[in-house]
Amino acid sequence: MEAGLVKAPIEVYRFDPTHDRAPRYDRFELELAPHTPVLTALLKIRADSDPSLTMRYSCRSSICGSCAMVINSKSRLACQTPIGPELERHGRIVIDPMRNMPVLRDLVVEMGGFWGNYRKLEPHLIDNPERPMPEGRPSSMSPEEVERFKETPRCIACGACYSACPAVEHDAAFPGPMSLAKLYRFVVDPRDGGQRERLLKIQPGGLWLCLRCHLCTEACPKDVRPSERIRDLKEMAIALQGATEHGSKHAVAFKENIRERGVLNEFKLVRQTYNPIEMLGQVPQGLKIRRKKPEITQTPKPIEGLAEVEKLYEILDDEPEATK
Amino acid sequence: MRLAYYPGCVAQESGKELDLATRWVCRKLGIELVEFPNFSCCGSGFIDEANSVLNVALNARNLAIAEKAGLDLLTVCSTCQGMLTLANRRLEEPAVKTKVDGALGQIGVSYHGGTSVRHLLQVLTESIGPEAIRRQVRRPLTGLKVGAFYGCHLLRPAAEMRSESAEDPHSFEDLIAALGATPVMYRGRVMCCGFPILFVKEETANRIAGHQIEDAKAHGAHAMATPCPLCHISLDSFQNLAERAVGRDLDMPIFHLPQLVGLALGATAEELGLPRHLVSTDSALQRIGEVAVPT
Amino acid sequence: MHRHDVVVVGAGLAGQRAALAAVEAGKDVAIVSKLHPLRSHSGAAQGGINAAVGAEDSVDTHIYDTVKGSDYLGDQDAIEFFCRSAGPTVVEMEHFGTIFSRGSDGQLASRPFGGQGFPRTIYAADRTGLALLQALYERLGTESFTLYEEWDLTRIVVGEGRVQGIIAFDRRHGDFAGIAAKSVVIATGPAGRVYGRTTNAHSCTGDGIAAAYRAGALLKDMEFVQFHPTALLESGILITEGARGEGGILKNVNGERFMSKYAPHVLDLASRDVVSRAIWTEVKEGRGFPGGYVHLELMHLGRERIESRLQEICDFCRNFAGVDPVTQPIPIMPGQHYMMGGVGTNIRGETNIPGLFAAGEAACVSIHGANRLGGNSLLETLVFGKEAGIHAAAHAEKASTTEIPNGLVEEETALIRGMSERKDGEEPQHLRAEMQATMDELVGIYRHPNDLTEALRRIRALQTRYQSVRVVDRSSIYNINLTDALETGHMLDLAEVIVIGAIARTESRGAHARVDFPRRDDVNWMKHTMARRTATGPELSYAPVAFTRWEPKERVY
Repeated sequence: MEAGLVKAPIEVYRFDPTHDRAPRYDRFELELAPHTPVLTALLKIRADSDPSLTMRYSCRSSICGSCAMVINSKSRLACQTPIGPELERHGRIVIDPMRNMPVLRDLVVEMGGFWGNYRKLEPHLIDNPERPMPEGRPSSMSPEEVERFKETPRCIACGACYSACPAVEHDAAFPGPMSLAKLYRFVVDPRDGGQRERLLKIQPGGLWLCLRCHLCTEACPKDVRPSERIRDLKEMAIALQGATEHGSKHAVAFKENIRERGVLNEFKLVRQTYNPIEMLGQVPQGLKIRRKKPEITQTPKPIEGLAEVEKLYEILDDEPEATK
Repeated sequence: MRLAYYPGCVAQESGKELDLATRWVCRKLGIELVEFPNFSCCGSGFIDEANSVLNVALNARNLAIAEKAGLDLLTVCSTCQGMLTLANRRLEEPAVKTKVDGALGQIGVSYHGGTSVRHLLQVLTESIGPEAIRRQVRRPLTGLKVGAFYGCHLLRPAAEMRSESAEDPHSFEDLIAALGATPVMYRGRVMCCGFPILFVKEETANRIAGHQIEDAKAHGAHAMATPCPLCHISLDSFQNLAERAVGRDLDMPIFHLPQLVGLALGATAEELGLPRHLVSTDSALQRIGEVAVPT
Repeated sequence: MHRHDVVVVGAGLAGQRAALAAVEAGKDVAIVSKLHPLRSHSGAAQGGINAAVGAEDSVDTHIYDTVKGSDYLGDQDAIEFFCRSAGPTVVEMEHFGTIFSRGSDGQLASRPFGGQGFPRTIYAADRTGLALLQALYERLGTESFTLYEEWDLTRIVVGEGRVQGIIAFDRRHGDFAGIAAKSVVIATGPAGRVYGRTTNAHSCTGDGIAAAYRAGALLKDMEFVQFHPTALLESGILITEGARGEGGILKNVNGERFMSKYAPHVLDLASRDVVSRAIWTEVKEGRGFPGGYVHLELMHLGRERIESRLQEICDFCRNFAGVDPVTQPIPIMPGQHYMMGGVGTNIRGETNIPGLFAAGEAACVSIHGANRLGGNSLLETLVFGKEAGIHAAAHAEKASTTEIPNGLVEEETALIRGMSERKDGEEPQHLRAEMQATMDELVGIYRHPNDLTEALRRIRALQTRYQSVRVVDRSSIYNINLTDALETGHMLDLAEVIVIGAIARTESRGAHARVDFPRRDDVNWMKHTMARRTATGPELSYAPVAFTRWEPKERVY
């Protein structure tokens, strides 16, 4: 082996629905420098051993977003993932198509659902009558306003977050991290007139299905941090319209619950979140749990220093007198 | 080792067995737990969604309590660990710090950023070390295959948590191996348990929990263990509903982290509160040669 | 069969802008693209977009800088129109939602760029192309049009003296289809992948330029190829000028700071062509590192400065080259970066074929002449994309309905399917690799007549071998091996035009540097090369350069 090269066993998911009954993994053994990106390795396989290996790729510099795939079980860009650290950790490189999207062939997935969720959120500026675009001039935007976009303009819509997201995997009503990060980008845009409507629509539109597991933030190759922007959207939605969904009711109820004793009153929280009919539905499971854990219906002792907590709520959570 | 013990709400209430097991294990390993009856709830990620600055302030107050005592915080919950750590990070943002400091000032509290927040898993694996624990094992968990289930907030967001690899953590597996059991590797070990949306869309939450348990089972796990009592609620207290959501029996005993450690160090099932679980741990106990405890 | 008024091929900035203009004119518009629009290579442009909007700047200065930068080969009427359109274009894109970087006063920020008398390059951090692409895509998304996504263009259909439509290959379903159109706009970007060492994306294979050429369109000034001095050695990924702007220095194998020989005053910050030629010379004369490259050193700047000011470059080096610029030199070589040439058009985007239009890097208006200025290419895509769209719509308004002639799709299908049915023959990726090696080695920064002749011989041999190209993949869905073959055929045609143009042009001007004719020759060569396809290869003719106000002078900075 040439100096500085390492043996790279690569196993690639293969499936062509026109010939194959079931997917399989093809194994290739390459000798490459450790810094070689996975994309380069795959292109080498296409050039030297199997031109039928099918995938999407274009810029090879993590800006076009084409080559997102699952590499050693993590959703990421092939062009941005060097083989060395993967081999050190796993001894091999296993490549699968992105998750949460049907496979068209090999590593190419159908992204229609992903784009559809994005389009549904009306990703374009809506006229803002309170701040019309100045005729013949660019609009002005203060540094604070620019700052509010956070990292969202970096998004390249590669789909890695969508592939990594367990909420997308388990609930079709969740629009996915990328769509919500894009939505945030419009909500905070001072030129956009649709902020209110966007926030009103998104509470019942799946916002509260985010599990805040941060897998999207870890998957994102551009450090857009979608989970944090989803959190911001939740806070903005509550500020605008209060608690209207189970998710926002639960968040607000939790906040109020802690104010009373400084620690959680579990039973009360359930009552605060659900309406009486929903409460009835909870009874059988509640009883089942209570048999083993009687504390769930007991009221905990307040913490010492509760007055301090109460004061923090007064300062930071109660609306100022003027707006009451 | 002296640490400010931050049990979190669940371990003091429906997850009391976690508190029992933590105390037993810490006593055994010589970790002195200093208690502070004035700690408040970490907000569990929910207060963060409703009012993020309030959430930081509440946790800054908790951190200040430990700082004043000159102690690091010990958590036994991935979510508490995540929220308290996140507060430390958010206080690095000048705008947040100004607001929070202002509010703390009004209650006569000041926090200077000096409190490290450490989860029991980190204390066991980093400060004490798997080797030292292995030497204290009285009842090796030989033959028991255990799937570690980390809980999101112990690991992510990685930039804030700054602990081991969020992608391929191994501390829990190292510990499981030190206890004599066989760690099981499966994709779900770093995934979400579904708990955060248990009150939003219960069926989806149950399905997620069921999916992770199925994954562990498919990889041969006899039991799972978690450093997070909220994951425990999802995986144990609601396992019957998870079974319904995925349409199959799971029968997966779910241990709290210190329960598994305690078991290997010689604690009885009662001392660890095992009878309080909704899913019986008997099948796991039998594998390590323990007689089932009457429940 | 599909039918539209206007078919735009390519969905980058030029294509989307053309489509938007045609939709706004009320036409039934389709975009045909081998990539999802947001995957287009326009998104990779980092630097910015020029517009003389500053209080002390003037459109005239922008015009002058562009004329001079073009080494007087740019058409001055086109450049005047182009520079005058810059301000309104930037404003329009801002109103579409582009998130530009701003100064503390809330106004658009601008930065200085090479060869320009004023800091007029407006930007969005280091991702201006992406910011524009997103905003335009979002704006276009509010209109109604048809998107043929992941379709490969195989032929532009011309008959009865005008465009009749296109034939394209639907990758997803493996079908060929005719798309009848009254107007066709080519906006498929450059053919940078003719070279192996290029900053261009893998998809920059000049499909639309080649299809237009095959359909009888004239290609203009194809021999003018811009090289960027600092491309990462293996991947060709661009290391921006900012690295040298911050104090990075170039060194040869002897550890010499060789720029002191070539540009004693400005050293490593000399203009792109000067630095590229210097690096090339060092390597050619045996002072490169083994394998043929030089070092860009940043280490002396210190970790803090490197990591804070050159974060992007750090990431690129660490991710794509396995080099840590804090502790190690960066191996670099000049790489192909931009094609000044393309399908010849006037300022309305019209080609010599009625109904056929072109815009963006696929087109040559010409505003860049022999050398493009940084910040002018993004602007070009938008200004001339819009013009092409407007005039394509106007053409469609008065044109009668067109048809794809009977049997043509079947004929095209049989021709291309033949590639898959061959038992022997060479695989396209091997032919492509040989073409790229040839162009890298022989048609680079300095052009030697013997090298060019040898390059032509090799390219023609490859064209012959391409006659029996073989597609190994037999699948009917998502057959990108077939795409490989189509692209390789396109690029071989274009490589031939580049080489023939370079052989004929016996002068040095802008990016075209002939070792045997080191001076610009305004008497004989102040003219555009026009290449027409014939059965025996490109036939060259020449067209005059348009002058308005600026007399040619020697280009010194």
